[in-house]
Amino acid sequence: MSLLRFTAADLVKAPSGRDARRRRADRFMRGIMFVTAAIAVVPLIGLILYIITNGLPFLTSQLIVNSPLDIEPGISNAIIGSLQLTIASIILAAPVGIAGGVYLNEFASPRVSSAGELLIDVMLGTPSIIAGLFAFLVVVPALGFSGYAAIVALSVLMIPIVMRTTQEVIRLVPAGVREASLALGIPVWKTTIFVTCRTAASGLLTGVVLAVSRGLGETAPLLLTAKGTNDTEILNFGSTMNAMPIVIYRYSSSPDSLLIGQAWATALVLLVIALTLNVLVRFRTVNNRVA
Amino acid sequence: MAITKENRFGFGRGIRVDALFRILFGSAVVVAGILLAGVVLSMVVSSLPVWNIQTPLSFVFGDRWAGEVTQPDGSVVGNYGAFAVIWGTVVSALIAILIAAPVGILAAVYLVEFAPRRLAAPLTFLVELMAAIPSVVIGLWAAGDLSIRLRDSVEWWVASTLGRIFPWLAEDPEAPAAQSVFRAGMVLAIMIIPMVVAISREVIRSVPQSLREGFIGMGATRWETIRHVVLPAARVGLTGAVLLALGRAVGETIAVTMVIGNAEGIPSSLFLPGQTIASKIASNYAEASTPTETGALAALGICLFAVTFLLSLAIRLLVRRAARGGGQAS
Repeated sequence: MSLLRFTAADLVKAPSGRDARRRRADRFMRGIMFVTAAIAVVPLIGLILYIITNGLPFLTSQLIVNSPLDIEPGISNAIIGSLQLTIASIILAAPVGIAGGVYLNEFASPRVSSAGELLIDVMLGTPSIIAGLFAFLVVVPALGFSGYAAIVALSVLMIPIVMRTTQEVIRLVPAGVREASLALGIPVWKTTIFVTCRTAASGLLTGVVLAVSRGLGETAPLLLTAKGTNDTEILNFGSTMNAMPIVIYRYSSSPDSLLIGQAWATALVLLVIALTLNVLVRFRTVNNRVA
Repeated sequence: MAITKENRFGFGRGIRVDALFRILFGSAVVVAGILLAGVVLSMVVSSLPVWNIQTPLSFVFGDRWAGEVTQPDGSVVGNYGAFAVIWGTVVSALIAILIAAPVGILAAVYLVEFAPRRLAAPLTFLVELMAAIPSVVIGLWAAGDLSIRLRDSVEWWVASTLGRIFPWLAEDPEAPAAQSVFRAGMVLAIMIIPMVVAISREVIRSVPQSLREGFIGMGATRWETIRHVVLPAARVGLTGAVLLALGRAVGETIAVTMVIGNAEGIPSSLFLPGQTIASKIASNYAEASTPTETGALAALGICLFAVTFLLSLAIRLLVRRAARGGGQAS
């Protein structure tokens, strides 16, 4: 995509006056643009190095295996809590998101479809703290700070992600595939599930993975709902629950240097998970684009 | 589908199932709509107790968050002023966007127009990876590392030069504040740059190659081509990218909470701690016990939601105008 290697302006020999100025401006701006690209990347490298150097010494097997109440405290309940909350939320959000995305693309009239897209846009633009506030105002008064409230908050954030991705990949399924199936007398619902969705399956999975990765990393909505706890009970969504982002946030402001170290180590774990999920998704998309 | 009559091949059953199927899938959209409506309604309803004791105008423009005040005559008056947190939100988001927009757009231009393919692919990959990092991890790094570096470099330099002239850029060189609005803005900038780069890249790539070739053929340098052809052609899309990033900056919570200092009131200088709407909600929800205290936080939520909602609408109008051919984006 880059431009021709030389432009006519470059070929003028020993330019003087105006042309020299133009050439200098060109070089200068090229330098500036290179610097901006570097600025966009340097923070990532700094962040990764910082989290690794500070987190690695504290990343022991006790940290992963033990609970905060053990003699050698760990964050096992936060890891399990994060998994439970994310899985429970995606079980709710994925069907709604996929079904909604499919409906908007396959069945909705243009008017409904455009309204639906506006709905997705607005939901995608809604800050995560607002989703947390929603669960805090609606679910917490009824059930208290609980896993259920956290699931509601996370679902609000996940549904539009799944829906948007679904919509985008379903749009790419060639019309001929559907028409061939319908021409064989296969009902619309079978065609939609076993032909259209099947063709786009890897794309649908991408949306789900993106939503999972968002859910694992969210902090603010969890603080307002699951709140964090030292309890280690599993599948107890009715009470407060722990999660990795909560641990990072709470421990980072603690005066205890062990806890601060654990915050870094937890951040390292979370970072590795988030980056792995993202790289997985990206490899898929790149492959699809090439194919 | 014009098939309406049942027949003996059992197609009728299939059509009834189809109808059910559509209703089922359509209801998913309805569920999403109900959730969004619930988000808005829950905040509006919860904020009602606040409007009983004070006006929305005094909420938005009041500069002190003082809670309820009992008047001498026994009546209770609300004294929730959100102006300081709104100020903090606007200022930190502005700092972020003023840095992220030029940096992100120029970086995208570099990636598309100049970077050799061997460099462009890994750079793009790294930039997009940054967007995947959870904000609490960015906050942890920002609070422990970046914010101190910024304090000792940019902030110190600006404060000791411009700060002598403008009081809103001043800082005590002996005892710089542990947290500041400026640093929050910088962290936000770093968080939204990947977003600006990713969208700008797509937009710039979609500018037809022939436009560039035509201009270069007339003897223009590459920078002149970008300045006079590529950027104007991509204007609408780039505006959309910046608005989207602005929405993200306005709503970002945890990373900001970890570096902005959460101090009440409007700071006299950018290098002093402040507060944003999101960080206020995140740091105050635990103490909210009465309906009015919760209601005041819900009212803050309404302000924040209104801003992001308007941004979403603006982006949509922009994209629609561009699609209709009114804009110059192709």
